[in-house]
Amino acid sequence: MTEINRRIFIKSAGLAFGSVLLFPACLKQSSIYHFFSNEEALCMIALCEQIIPKDSSPGATNAGVIFYIDKQLSGIFQYDQETYRTGIKNLQDYCSNKSGKSFEKHSAEDQIQIMKLMESNQMSETEWSGKNPANFFNLLLSHTMQGFYGSPIHGGNKDNISFKMLRIDYPLVVDQNQIRS
Amino acid sequence: MANKHVNAIIVGAGAGGGIVAKELATKGLSVVLFERGEWPNYDEHPNDELISQRTEVLGSPFGPDHIKNPRTLTYKGGSKQIVTPIHGNYNNVAACVGSGTVSYGAMAWRFMQEDFKLKTVYGSVEGSTLDDWPITYEELEPYYEKAEWEIGVSGDDTQNPFAPPRKKKQPMPPFEYNAEAKVLYDASKRLGLHPFPIPMLRNSVPNNNREACIRNLTCCGFACPVDAKNGTQNTVIPIAIKTGNCDLRTGSKVVEIMIDDRGKATGVKYFDKDDKPQIQTADVVVVAGAAIETARLLLNSKSRLFPNGAGNNSDWVGRNLAGHAYTGAYGLFDYDILDFAGPGATIAWCDFNHHNPGIIGGGLLANEFNRLPYLYTGIRPPGSARWGKDHKEFQRSMYHRTAQIVGPIQEMPMYESRVTVDPEVKDFWGIPVASLSGDRHPLDYEHCKFLSAKAEAILKEAGAYQTWQSIGGQGGPSGGQHQNGTARMGNDKKTSVVNKNGQIHEIDNLFVADGSAMVNGGGFNPALTIMALGFRVGEYIAKNFASIRVT
Repeated sequence: MTEINRRIFIKSAGLAFGSVLLFPACLKQSSIYHFFSNEEALCMIALCEQIIPKDSSPGATNAGVIFYIDKQLSGIFQYDQETYRTGIKNLQDYCSNKSGKSFEKHSAEDQIQIMKLMESNQMSETEWSGKNPANFFNLLLSHTMQGFYGSPIHGGNKDNISFKMLRIDYPLVVDQNQIRS
Repeated sequence: MANKHVNAIIVGAGAGGGIVAKELATKGLSVVLFERGEWPNYDEHPNDELISQRTEVLGSPFGPDHIKNPRTLTYKGGSKQIVTPIHGNYNNVAACVGSGTVSYGAMAWRFMQEDFKLKTVYGSVEGSTLDDWPITYEELEPYYEKAEWEIGVSGDDTQNPFAPPRKKKQPMPPFEYNAEAKVLYDASKRLGLHPFPIPMLRNSVPNNNREACIRNLTCCGFACPVDAKNGTQNTVIPIAIKTGNCDLRTGSKVVEIMIDDRGKATGVKYFDKDDKPQIQTADVVVVAGAAIETARLLLNSKSRLFPNGAGNNSDWVGRNLAGHAYTGAYGLFDYDILDFAGPGATIAWCDFNHHNPGIIGGGLLANEFNRLPYLYTGIRPPGSARWGKDHKEFQRSMYHRTAQIVGPIQEMPMYESRVTVDPEVKDFWGIPVASLSGDRHPLDYEHCKFLSAKAEAILKEAGAYQTWQSIGGQGGPSGGQHQNGTARMGNDKKTSVVNKNGQIHEIDNLFVADGSAMVNGGGFNPALTIMALGFRVGEYIAKNFASIRVT
């Protein structure tokens, strides 16, 4: 409840409350996503899957977490569009400079290592284009958790995957959610 | 067409305002009750954690609109941030008929006698504006009783040896303990503590032609699917409307109280449902918009005699913004200790509310309201993974096995912790927004550490194999949950905003009837106290302004 998802500083006030910066659809090729390009989506899916990996129960990919994030970025999270666009680009630049291949092509182990560097801000200015990788990482982390553990009506948590994993009857039905003896 | 003059305007249909409306309308006064939101509707956001008062990441289920109603925060060092209701530090209070009484956890606490005289009991505190209330517990007691019986409370204070004296028992029997509470009950008894069932503004039995609570998972932060939670929206407001004397105007945003050159309130300016500017005149104006919006409205009401805002000639409007610093501990068990019987919180202790060595006041402890899955992703022992395989495994294996005991530390009131109106940022209607600034008192953190240690001790005794504390009270600006203090009640007009009847000093037909008038937050959830103040202010107006009644 006290979580601060992001800070909108006063200098961007006109931007935040006047005209919202929306990326025009014509910049993207045909895609099943509203916001992400197909290339960006491949990277996003890999990132989300490492945050909530498949084990004995489905992970972020199966739950459709990317559809949650994609949908909200076109709506209430539109202020975060730039953080995602730049974040994914910076990550891919980092990966291609280091290994010549994109993030999603790395092994799971390597992906986790890269994400740990992002989380702990252990990237130099040249490695992450002057930006703060933890800023993008923390946003991605919150949104992935929301998409996986939140209500399916928002685009993620397909077939109540996380509710089943947590053994809760949720969403609940009135008069059926009493204490069972 | 001009609106017909009425006896009384009430701004805000929440815990305080809804009650004043009923008190006046049933005494024959004509009333307009303004509410910027609408009637709440359970079906719009059923069981949706991401649009709830607990986790507002995708919006506030009961408003206000997140684009139209920004606020600003100023941090130490001067950096300023614009926040909207979906940000935690906005300190949102539900904008709908009933307001927080629709979505609250519904704890029904009476403050203790000491809470009304902290300065007398503990002395002055350096750096704090700590003071006594101009009224005692005994003076408020009859109104607590009215709140308990007219709104509806389940509880049994005889099980709480620290409960303040009462004349009449609570109207409904207490709720049964859930599985977690039963374990904590035994453990705390072994420690010599005094557990008892939490008094609740919910129906333990059918009441007032509405059902008993069905103990569903989602309660705190949500509307009730069977209307078993008692708020002003399903008790006093319908009674007020039924008299025919109360006109409830929803979707109406009051932006200014008009004060004439004789220093009397004459009415309000507002934007109606269709956002058209309107004027409503009245003999009496009562402000009950919760501590932040009440202060903003008073400050935005500038007039010749009150150039800095209504009742603000001593510069105390908006000051002493305080809330509760929530603090406590978690414990991991090797079995499913939670049964998720709603609302989750069922057991409390008042052993640490007062007379703790070295502590000013203290707070109640209780087990926590049911935590929903997203909220739980942030609950981990220190040093745990925030993501990945281990995080997911913890979520799966421990969701049913994590007990939590938590309580509210009343923040020390601070002169510089305040609501002002922002000089630059305006809302959708062009009105300067509330700006929050100031820091918390360093004692808050010390008090939190004290209470968290007590919570942890109970969990350890209960058999938790691992425990850790979650300590609140740091970071500013203040406010947090249970905002209060911004139109402080007092006898001296130089150091307060309203007198003991809720009447603004120097404007005798302008009143405040919400948490703004509170001198401190108490070591308890404040809803019942705000309701009691509402009954008291309502009775005073009905008695003293009877001559204005339109016949």
